Amino acid sequence: MINPFEEFKSFSPSPPDLPMDQIVQSAEAVMDRIRWGYEKLLEEEAKELVWMVQYNTIIKAYELAERYIMEIDYTAEDIEEFCFALENTRKIPYLIPGPAGIYISALCNYSKEEEIVLKLSELKTEINLIGFRLPKGKRLIIEGDTGDFTGIGLEGGELVVEGSAKNWTGAGMKGGKILIKKNIGLHTGEWMMGGEIYVGGRVRGLGNIVVGMVYVRVYQVFPGKVKYPNLYY
Amino acid sequence: MEKQNYQSLIEEIWPKLKRKHLYPEIPMPLIKGASETDQEAGEENQTVGLEMKQKQMTINSAFVSQMKKKMSEKSVIEALLDHGITHYTFCPWDFQTYLMLYSEAKKIMGDKELAKQVSNYFIDVIANTHCVKHRHTEIPELHRHLKKGMVEEVITSLYQKIWGIDLGISPSKMNKDHIGIVRRLERIPYLDRSRWGESVQRFARSIKPLLIEEEKQRRGEEGKGDRNPQGEHDLSHYSIEEIDQGLRDYAQKTKTLSEFKDVVEDLSDELRGAGYGMEGGMGRGHGNPIDAEVLFYMKLAENYSIPIKKIPLEKIGSLHPHSHSPWEVGSPFQDVDIWTSFGKIMPGITQIWKKKEGKGRGKAEGTPDCLIAIDSSGSMINPRKSLSYAVLGAACATNAYLRNDSKVAVYNFSDAPMGGKEILDYTDRREEIYRVLCRYFGGGTALDLEDLMPLIQGKKNVDFFIITDMKITNLEALIGFFGQIQNRVTAVHIGDNPYAARFEKAVEKKRNISLYSVKRKEDIPYIVLGKIRDYFDPAHLKKS
Amino acid sequence: MGKNGYQKQVMEIYQFISEHLYFNRPDMEVKGERFNSAILLSLLTSLKRGKELIIGEPGLGKTTSAEFVSSLIYQLPLGVIWGSEVSGHPEQTEEKIIGRPDLGKLNRGEEDVVWTNFAQIPVKIVDEINRLPETKQSMILDGVDRGNWEYLNEMIINEEYCLFATANYQDGGTNTIIAPLVDRFDVMVESRYPGPNLSFLIAKDRRKDHLLRHPQYEKDLYHILKSKIPYEKKIAKIEEVSNAYGEYLQETLGLKSFRKQDRDRICTEMESLELDLDASAFTRMLLAELSFCDRYGQKRVIENCEEGCHYTGYLCHQIKNCASNRLPLSIKQYAQGLTWLLDDSEIDMEHIKSIAPYTLAHRIQWKEEVLSQKERLQRDDPFPIFLAKEAVIAVSKRYREQSDHLKDALAVGSRIFQGDPLQPIEGDHPLYLEIKKDIEARRR
Repeated sequence: MINPFEEFKSFSPSPPDLPMDQIVQSAEAVMDRIRWGYEKLLEEEAKELVWMVQYNTIIKAYELAERYIMEIDYTAEDIEEFCFALENTRKIPYLIPGPAGIYISALCNYSKEEEIVLKLSELKTEINLIGFRLPKGKRLIIEGDTGDFTGIGLEGGELVVEGSAKNWTGAGMKGGKILIKKNIGLHTGEWMMGGEIYVGGRVRGLGNIVVGMVYVRVYQVFPGKVKYPNLYY
Repeated sequence: MEKQNYQSLIEEIWPKLKRKHLYPEIPMPLIKGASETDQEAGEENQTVGLEMKQKQMTINSAFVSQMKKKMSEKSVIEALLDHGITHYTFCPWDFQTYLMLYSEAKKIMGDKELAKQVSNYFIDVIANTHCVKHRHTEIPELHRHLKKGMVEEVITSLYQKIWGIDLGISPSKMNKDHIGIVRRLERIPYLDRSRWGESVQRFARSIKPLLIEEEKQRRGEEGKGDRNPQGEHDLSHYSIEEIDQGLRDYAQKTKTLSEFKDVVEDLSDELRGAGYGMEGGMGRGHGNPIDAEVLFYMKLAENYSIPIKKIPLEKIGSLHPHSHSPWEVGSPFQDVDIWTSFGKIMPGITQIWKKKEGKGRGKAEGTPDCLIAIDSSGSMINPRKSLSYAVLGAACATNAYLRNDSKVAVYNFSDAPMGGKEILDYTDRREEIYRVLCRYFGGGTALDLEDLMPLIQGKKNVDFFIITDMKITNLEALIGFFGQIQNRVTAVHIGDNPYAARFEKAVEKKRNISLYSVKRKEDIPYIVLGKIRDYFDPAHLKKS
Repeated sequence: MGKNGYQKQVMEIYQFISEHLYFNRPDMEVKGERFNSAILLSLLTSLKRGKELIIGEPGLGKTTSAEFVSSLIYQLPLGVIWGSEVSGHPEQTEEKIIGRPDLGKLNRGEEDVVWTNFAQIPVKIVDEINRLPETKQSMILDGVDRGNWEYLNEMIINEEYCLFATANYQDGGTNTIIAPLVDRFDVMVESRYPGPNLSFLIAKDRRKDHLLRHPQYEKDLYHILKSKIPYEKKIAKIEEVSNAYGEYLQETLGLKSFRKQDRDRICTEMESLELDLDASAFTRMLLAELSFCDRYGQKRVIENCEEGCHYTGYLCHQIKNCASNRLPLSIKQYAQGLTWLLDDSEIDMEHIKSIAPYTLAHRIQWKEEVLSQKERLQRDDPFPIFLAKEAVIAVSKRYREQSDHLKDALAVGSRIFQGDPLQPIEGDHPLYLEIKKDIEARRR
């Protein structure tokens, strides 16, 4: 049979790859793995695309997330890219704030880097539950705002939010430090068992704090004058 | 003298460069002498090395001279030209891509100037990287020696990382934040065209703080910023035709009025500077402000076009000798051509005339003028807020008639008796017609026949298009009006309602009236054009 | 320039025609040299023995350009060329085009054919071919395709020939050249208005064609053409007179024209030129876009594109018909000619890009919406040539973007054909799918 491509037989293949090709390729492979983990989490935890924030659902989802991310070798940039991918329906069809936040928290907690900076100021959605169980020795800096349940169950790490956080920030945290540069919502520090929360702007209301300290600007507001939960400032 | 030397250097390397880049359609580059500004800039400040106007690249001899201490003049010229050519051959490729990149960058940057800067940097990174990957080039060498501001240092560091070539940037001496920016930038798939929209957003997100910081510094210094030595990428790169085509493609691709409007309004000064205006329909001429919404419909309508009406060929009935064929025994003698048969009746020699009916040019009837009545009541979409297929359909009709040298009148109505109307008499001024079509009144729907009558009465040679949702309060009057006229009428109504049913029943016996009920608004332009095609070419209708 | 100096000779003829016979403005640039497309392509048609359709407004030198070129390349006095032309009109007969019975012999009951000059000489010029009935157009093109001319039971064979046909712009008033016939032309070119200033000079110098007249040689040639000797012997005699006329041209005009053996040698040299890899891959890409249909297997004039087809951005979506097998042949032939003339060693992409529009312009049937969108665009060329140039530029832009990937895909295709267990390379262009189809055909 005639070889219609005969004249190309001696053609030497494409130019050598640039380091960029390798970087992009491996970043995309990692992103695929991260996305896959998230989709599996949704499959198991949010079958009807509904997810209720409850103590046991959070724990269960986190345990699943831990299992999916355990073997992925990723960086802070991967986590940041995943946050933006969540807003792109072509890449990730469903953004369900609860599981997404837990998954991102797990990614941060298991990251090899001690300090993670996520530049999320261009993100349109505020991610809930970010900083969940942030362990001691980790510093997570979020550029932008965060949603509800920021830094809940913090386990000694340091969470810095360059913008504002919403309700239930620091709920149930056991230790560590949360620093919110701007404002914070209601139920701040609900069932807080230790650690410190610093707020640069306003606090809409504190929750029932068990142990811990809350500072607004330079003033310590808990323990202190504030005795009642959800006091509006 | 230096200028002449450089020009001959260009002439020497140009064939090699053309071959390297697979023969792009670009004229031989020129060299320009050092301007006063360049001389004032002195040794310290870097001048612009390359300018590109439409497809003409011009190298600044002052830049080459500045660089010659660091690398050979030939290498400087070659690097600049590699870069310039790659803008044409790879990124941004065409004006539509430029618009898309700018518009995506603007979504992140919010500010026009910053968005332009980001898209320029992004385009440069792509062009340079494409060139480094696919061609042997001196671009890395040039970047090693270019003077660098804050942003340029980060970009060069990015190049160093993604090209794997030492460009003299030491990461250990770099600011930590800048290293973070480079880490984010290096992950972008620059050479994947299908992802440029998303990539320019990632690029913009990462580089935004740096640009804002630089902008602040610049303001503090009250000086002009460094100019890009590889030249700015702006509208001067494109011809008017390329801009026109780019806007048409962009309107078609986005189909989103707000996005189109934002981009055109942002670039309106540059568009006018490039000689692009709206006067004359095709978007030529200086001076007039650009009405982005009208331009959107103009460009979008240009994507839906039908052929210009041809003068029909008609058979004229009489037969004439057309060609010869061999005579066979039994064929009629009266058709024998005795001249070519040499007086013989003999198979193989004798020939007969084959006769054919003659064709002549049909009567060159002009295309009728067109009256478009368009409903702009509250139940219709506001064409200045979002894409109105009713206006687009009317725009397509306008183009079809104007292209055939006919005129178009517009009756834009909502509650006409209460003043909700605008009437434009027969004209061929496309922009004016579009302006009236784009007018939106809102409110109720009623026609004032006293306005409509003068536009159509006594004018048999007028086609009438009406696009409405038919919720016309004085529908009976309209039905009566249609009963009187003999013109070809195409009524397009959107959605089903009792008014439409009443109208349909009333005109069902009128052969000059075609009624179309539209379920999907997107179909309106096709319906209007389909009808016009039948009007213009009845033969096509018979054939189908 | 080449060792034997033929290219220089051709360029001198080009210059001479430009400066004395056919005033023109250059309208194309190849490798930094500017040419007038009508003269350049006519020269290539003569040398490469091709078929050229020349269009243009009446009186703008369509026929004369072809006459001048062929007179100088084939060493035939202008009078002989004039006497061999076929003019297109509906009443034109086979007898005036090919040959007629010898009436004397016919009256004696014998059959013999008197061949026309058109059938006998290598230069065939048909004026206003579109005014000929289709049967006659077809007859001429059949003859030119095969080089055979048949009448009654006799036949002559042309060993060397080229065809120039002129046509006014096709409008409703004349017959058209039907698509299958148009396809047989290798190239279409426009003979253009040279501008008022050069046109003014043309009017001043009305007797310029006398430069190429030679009554004595014309008489001698007529005499040979009319004679009853076998055609092969006639050709040898014609060549003798032509050579004498060639010497006359050199003496009087300082122009060296070409003998038969020179022309043969030029043809051989041209034939030896091959496409480099980029030129080959680019041509394949162009052909793929002009023939591909994802839905129906190939382009067919009776089938319409599917709405929403992935390949909407390619030429296949803009055209109605499929590229014929004659197209690549025309491209290669003329690109060989151009490459030879420029004394380049290989046919590269620029040669192909320069030639391709002229080989495509008359062959592509564009969809109506494409025509209506572009017909009022600013341009310098006649509409079909303009569209073809735009199409070639569009494909070349696409090619540049993925040249390496495409050549890789073709190379892998070659290795698979040689038996390597590889998978074809994927890509976003019809050509990748066509490569796959060929590989699948082999595997089956």
